[in-house]
Amino acid sequence: MQSFEWPWQYNFPPFFTLQPNVDTRQKQLAAWCSLALSYCRHRKLYTLDVLEAQESALFNNKKISRKLSVEAIQVIFEELRKKGNLEWMDKNKTRCLIMWRRPEEWGKLIYQWVSKNGMVNSVFTLYELSSGEDTESEEFHGLEEWMLLRALQALQSEGKAEVISLDDGKGVKFF
Amino acid sequence: MHRRGVGAGAIAKKKFAEAKYKERGTVLAEDQIAQMSKQLETFRSHLEEFASKHKQEIRKSSQFRVQFQEMCATIGVDPLASGKGFWSEMLGVGDFYYELGVQIIEVCLALKHRNGGLITLDELHQRVLKGRGKFAQDVSQDDLVRAIKKLKAMGNGFGMIPVGGSYLVQSVPAELNMDHTVVLQLAERKGYVTVSEVKEGLKWERERAGHVLDHLLKEGLAWLDMQADGEPQYWLPALFSDLTSQDVSPEEANQMSP
Repeated sequence: MQSFEWPWQYNFPPFFTLQPNVDTRQKQLAAWCSLALSYCRHRKLYTLDVLEAQESALFNNKKISRKLSVEAIQVIFEELRKKGNLEWMDKNKTRCLIMWRRPEEWGKLIYQWVSKNGMVNSVFTLYELSSGEDTESEEFHGLEEWMLLRALQALQSEGKAEVISLDDGKGVKFF
Repeated sequence: MHRRGVGAGAIAKKKFAEAKYKERGTVLAEDQIAQMSKQLETFRSHLEEFASKHKQEIRKSSQFRVQFQEMCATIGVDPLASGKGFWSEMLGVGDFYYELGVQIIEVCLALKHRNGGLITLDELHQRVLKGRGKFAQDVSQDDLVRAIKKLKAMGNGFGMIPVGGSYLVQSVPAELNMDHTVVLQLAERKGYVTVSEVKEGLKWERERAGHVLDHLLKEGLAWLDMQADGEPQYWLPALFSDLTSQDVSPEEANQMSP
């Protein structure tokens, strides 16, 4: 895995303190949202646990001894939620789904692969799509099932696919 | 006539002489003017020759530009004083600095969201050179300083603050008075400063120190770090050395104000 390129803010100590100045805070939050999504994308993380996240390299830069407080992380997560990139899995907001790509965007990628390979009108199991040999070099390889389903549902609402039930799980037919 | 005469005849003669002298005076002035014109003509063609010979050098060599500017200064000429002028037009000196000014504005605008409109002359220089590419003309810090002075004179909100042997270039009309400037100079050493450091370093009251640092926060020139050992630190992105090695990321690009 290629090493992750941290933006300049990551090594700037104040970046880990929620800024009192409103304009500066806006820039800070935008940068954090970007960074969080890039990081999760790079590590192919689809869910985050808030307490674990606080200790991860993302929110804790050991080299400069700075880390985001839990409140700060909550503020950032709220921003991400507002932008449609995050969904809470529980009422207590301890765990969340992180969508560095939205379901529609995944759907588009999957459909492109399907039509490029002339496989429209074929049926696939979810497993084949996310973990099959044929999709190994695709970006959606390794996509977690919940996300894959959402992507396919997005395609379904566009009339490009239909999610069906197979013997041992779900599948999809592309049009 | 060798003898002054008296009487009507003498007066008439005097009048005649005066008239002749006047005529001569006119003739003399005309002569002088004609001579001066000729000299000017020669001077002008020499200047044109000089201009065409050195126009290339002006654009190519920063060293030549420095020497040229110094020469102009000795004879009391400011080649950048007016956009339209012999020096500006003939030698393209004005063009050179005008284009450089535009480039400087572009760099400052691109980074404003990061550093609040304050940038070190070093970083500005690096980025301007980068923007000009491998085969572009050589640009020195002296060139930048001149171009910035010109921008300042045109009222673009530009200013230069001397810090640590060089300058901080200010590209937004943030209100920075002597107190702010002197704190910036203090912060230059480490890239950050605390209230106590300002208080002790400048022998100020704690309130005055806090006030100035709060102003820098308000202007977006400083960020607050509450996790430092000891008291909070006020950091200036403009002085953060890590910045100079990194380009603007695509995410940042999206954040930039138009």
